[in-house]
Amino acid sequence: MVGQAEDSIAGDRPGLGEIADVFARYGNFTLGGGSATTATIHGQIVARRHWVDDQKFSLCFALGRLTPGTNVLAFCTGIGWLLRGLPGALVALLAASMPCTLIVIVVTALFREWQDNTIVQAAIHGAVAAAVAITAKTSWTIAGPIYKRRERWRVIIIGAAAFGLYVGLGVPAISVLLLAAFIGALLPVAAP
Amino acid sequence: MNLALLYLLLLKGTCTAFAGLASLPVIHDTLVTQYHALTDQQLNQAVVITRSTPGPVGLYIVSVGYFVAGVPGAIAGWLAMITPAFLIIPLVHFAGRHTDHPRVKSILQAVVIASAGLLLAASIPLARVALTDPVTVGIAAISLVILLTTELDTLWIILSAAVVSLSASSLGLIAGFG
Repeated sequence: MVGQAEDSIAGDRPGLGEIADVFARYGNFTLGGGSATTATIHGQIVARRHWVDDQKFSLCFALGRLTPGTNVLAFCTGIGWLLRGLPGALVALLAASMPCTLIVIVVTALFREWQDNTIVQAAIHGAVAAAVAITAKTSWTIAGPIYKRRERWRVIIIGAAAFGLYVGLGVPAISVLLLAAFIGALLPVAAP
Repeated sequence: MNLALLYLLLLKGTCTAFAGLASLPVIHDTLVTQYHALTDQQLNQAVVITRSTPGPVGLYIVSVGYFVAGVPGAIAGWLAMITPAFLIIPLVHFAGRHTDHPRVKSILQAVVIASAGLLLAASIPLARVALTDPVTVGIAAISLVILLTTELDTLWIILSAAVVSLSASSLGLIAGFG
């Protein structure tokens, strides 16, 4: 399997150290979420280093969106796999996830430490209020691109149904998602 | 909480979501409602932390793990975050040529839309905990408008919200949460 992955990549094949370096530097320290990170990585591995071509990049990007969990991490794993098989995938995934995980652990620990400080608590109180807005807005970030295409009614009906089932009837989130998958299979196919 | 169980519960969330915060409703169902291992307040804080630090939003699961079981819990969260990423290998390897299949697209699209509806629903219990006075309601409302109308990075919104809340509290506009 590794052999096939090797065949599929022409051009400069990077070593594991180089893969770790690029994904640690550009996979972790970009603010602005997944799309900003992906754009930065594109600049590095396609435009600058020619590790993969645009087509392979897009394939990994699309498949990353279809993979459960964090899209960017799946994307990095996919690129790592194309470059160096399983070791490449593992190195890319670890490099793209460990530094930011350490930062989050430290910040969470500080949050806990500072919970009893009144001044810090006032600041956290405001930040948490903003997080509610961010959570609500992220729902639009997910549904917006589909709404802007021709599937407007799908977004309204499926989105409202999911919201209603969860809030109104207390249907567990997983059941709602599975039901959506089932309905998606029955619906007329989505526009290209 | 048993770490293996925590890992599996978090994995249940990450494996059924297709975007960063989309796993939030499942995490809320299991850890807050079912197991009482996490509070709404902590879930909110986890979102704040990951939006104020670099890296993907899905990292909030690491923070959730820490709140439940300290550093070992955070490691369980990290593992739950990275495990689903391996699924892309068989996808790249075998299914790469079928991603344009209309039926597959249609299923995934319905799941994505439903996850957006669920995420909006999940912000309701979070709001109930966080929006306790006119100042925080105002912060949330203004933040939402800014988020929907501008491309401003969320880090700045969180920082501004913290400063506004801090100022309001020192002026005595917010009382009773000290």
